[in-house]
Amino acid sequence: MAGTFTTKTKKVGAGSSGGTEPAADAEPDADGRARSRKRPGRAEEGGLTWRLRLRRDRSLILMTLPAVALLLVFNYAPLFGLITAFEYYDPLVGVLHSDWAGLDQFRALFNDPLFWGALRNTLWLSFVQLVLFFPIPIALALVLNSVTSERLRNFIQSVVYLPHFFSWVLAITIFQQMLGGAGVLNHFLAQHNLGTWDVMTDPHTFALLVTSQAVWKEAGWGIIVFLAALAAIDQNLYEAAAVDGAGRWRRMWHITLPGMRGVIVLMLVLRLGNALTVGFEQFLIQRDAVGHDTADVLDTFSFYYGITTNNYSYGAAAGLFKSVISLLLIWGANRVAHAFGEDGLYRK
Amino acid sequence: MSIAMNRRAFVNGAVAVAGAAALSPLLSACGSGSSRSKGGTNSKSGLRAALPDYVPGQAVKPDIPSVHGAAGAFTDPGFLTYPAKQIPTVSGTPGKGGSYTAVTPLWGTIPPAGNSFYQAVNKALGVNLTIKPANGVSYDTIVPTMTASKKLPDWIQLPTWWNAAFNMGELAGTQLADLTPYLAGGKIKKYPNLAAIPTFAWQVGAWEDKLYGIPCGASGMSLAGHVFYRADILESKGITADQVKSADDYMSLGKELTSAQAGVWAFGDVWTYLSLSWGLPPGWTVKSGKLVHAYELPEFLEALDWHYKLAKSGYVHPDALAGNVNAGATRFYAGKELIQGGGTGAWNLSDHQSGTAANKNYRRGAFNVIAADGRSDPQIFLGAATGVVSYLNAKLSPNQIEELLAVANYLAAPYGSTEYTMITYGVEGVHHTMVNGMPSYTDEGKKYAQPTTYTFLASAPQVISNPGAEQVTKDYTSWFARTAPHVYKPVFYGMNITVPQRYATAAAAKSVVDTVIEVTHGLKKVSDFQAAVSSWKSSGGDQLKNWYQTEVLDKYGTGQ
Repeated sequence: MAGTFTTKTKKVGAGSSGGTEPAADAEPDADGRARSRKRPGRAEEGGLTWRLRLRRDRSLILMTLPAVALLLVFNYAPLFGLITAFEYYDPLVGVLHSDWAGLDQFRALFNDPLFWGALRNTLWLSFVQLVLFFPIPIALALVLNSVTSERLRNFIQSVVYLPHFFSWVLAITIFQQMLGGAGVLNHFLAQHNLGTWDVMTDPHTFALLVTSQAVWKEAGWGIIVFLAALAAIDQNLYEAAAVDGAGRWRRMWHITLPGMRGVIVLMLVLRLGNALTVGFEQFLIQRDAVGHDTADVLDTFSFYYGITTNNYSYGAAAGLFKSVISLLLIWGANRVAHAFGEDGLYRK
Repeated sequence: MSIAMNRRAFVNGAVAVAGAAALSPLLSACGSGSSRSKGGTNSKSGLRAALPDYVPGQAVKPDIPSVHGAAGAFTDPGFLTYPAKQIPTVSGTPGKGGSYTAVTPLWGTIPPAGNSFYQAVNKALGVNLTIKPANGVSYDTIVPTMTASKKLPDWIQLPTWWNAAFNMGELAGTQLADLTPYLAGGKIKKYPNLAAIPTFAWQVGAWEDKLYGIPCGASGMSLAGHVFYRADILESKGITADQVKSADDYMSLGKELTSAQAGVWAFGDVWTYLSLSWGLPPGWTVKSGKLVHAYELPEFLEALDWHYKLAKSGYVHPDALAGNVNAGATRFYAGKELIQGGGTGAWNLSDHQSGTAANKNYRRGAFNVIAADGRSDPQIFLGAATGVVSYLNAKLSPNQIEELLAVANYLAAPYGSTEYTMITYGVEGVHHTMVNGMPSYTDEGKKYAQPTTYTFLASAPQVISNPGAEQVTKDYTSWFARTAPHVYKPVFYGMNITVPQRYATAAAAKSVVDTVIEVTHGLKKVSDFQAAVSSWKSSGGDQLKNWYQTEVLDKYGTGQ
């Protein structure tokens, strides 16, 4: 079954869009090994001298230069500051002259119950968001894709995008005005003597609260990439499947979802790699409402116990710890993606 | 094993970097050693030698005179009208034509550089002072970049609430000019307007027994703040401030005023100011010769317990419990929240204007300082005389410092004088016109003459004046006059202690501060606070206390 589909895919693809495809891909290959076929060709190019390749790719290289420069200045050069994590950094004395601390900052960090509390919160919130938030943009994209009227689709899309452009302050204010103790809901409940529902200040349901805020604010924005993946699926496939008698669900199962799989896995790898970055302002703003035990995540920990107490080195140590763990996570998730035969962040 | 390897590799790396720095004269000029790691403070005798004499000014008579209180405090005088006759207090131009730069924080729209107001003031001062107001909201982030690169302007305003962030203890020793040789004792008489600034205000800018800062807008009786109430609404219900004499009275007010169905709650955030009714010190206090932190006092637990009960009582606005502090003023103006704490700066003309815009009867009142039990003598500690202090750059020559001090003397002219009118309101007919005897900004004045520009470099002691809202001036001054007998100087008053860097985390006690907020919001119990305090003590709090006991209290006393 799968085999017939593959052959069909390739034939249809080549027939319809062959004119715009690059020459290397123009030769269809039934067993899907077109990629490895290209390899020998690349090896030949490698035979060109460095200078020739430079001349050939000149315009491409020129185009990437500004981006590379920005990366160097804003992403790599500041890495020098990581050295402060191993010092008792004093801004007036400077990085070069501050007293050396060795691993003292890390020792203090690992003995700090507040740090472990923040790490626990981060992982828990990340897990809840992975389960409850991650599938929503995918589902939304599928639903939106099934809307045939373009005007209606554009309208829905604009409405669900909009909250992304609100700041967290505004988003949380709206939640507070709606669900807060003096908000619309509780005002209504109080007027009808129905008691109150203090969801904005309840530490026990905080993970659900922040996830629902995140869904409200970001889910619409998150569907863009999935819609792009959907748009990339060849419409002829659906036609062919429909001709073969496949129903709505079978088409989704056999065409849409496999077509999106690469993007879904890529987003999952990125999400896992960012597992320790669950947000900053959202927790900063609501910290006093639910308490620091509940709302402190690694980023707010660095801010409150590093920057606001002028203990920059301590904050840098917490940040460095977070970066190292994140790197391991993204590397691990990518390995898993490769093991499942997906591209992940890059091709093997 | 691998950790040891890494550590070694890092040490080697650092040595290499330091070696490179030593070779380069450019880099090695960036200073070395960290005096901050040792800490420091003012001593009693050393400070006495450095502080200037106090010669009160007599040029302008206030409508509501100052009242003397306990601990040498005196209230700010009040003016109901602008002095009719503007008196000059400085003869000639103070400057000798020098060129200087100055940076101040400005909470408002930044006027364009070199505008007609700056030009007029420069002409009056006789110097070419390039003043660059910077956005006050982000001021604490731009100053560290100037200090780290050792590029401070000639004259800079460094608000004291950022002392720790700016590392003032060390800046004073290295980048800021020592003014002791110019102003100590009787030398200040050369600058009569500066001499009219009270002595304890100069203490705010004194570091390790040397005088660095010029205090602006000093107050003879500076307090943390008040427990405010909506005077118009409470008085219409027959409630006056003097009926509230104990914590229990507050609780019954809560019951009387709260109506959740109508969307009205009695209380907002009150902890910071109402907790003072339990006699809490701002930080440390001394009990039988031993240093004790406020967190360790039984009174602190009582206060916290009361506020926990308040949070649970349903008398506090839910948005206040949710930590939505910024909208507090809006809730107060809207009459949704009738009692709330706030700093003394909240009680002024602009508050009156905002409040009456929401409700024409609006009137802000403040409850008297009370003792929680209703029987003891109420006590409230004095704060620093000012939070606004300017400093001169250490690179200036003695002649330049004297020129700028003469300029400061001009800027510190008393309320209503010719000089005061010039630096606050600009030139008559250009930046202001006299309306009903009061200077009123013209359109050009509104654009260029921000009143907190030059007054943030030097200004006379504070006076209370709210033209158009005389009631505010009367309420404010009479509250201070009533409170004056109850003030005291807390332990380590005006000592400007620099805590060594290794105690920075313990000194901030962030986890305890957070827990206090959470208890007062009803999220945690008093027992959680006790647990937070004991973990704070074991993770550095006790060491910090030890340092204060041996390095400050035993050596220099309490500074009271």
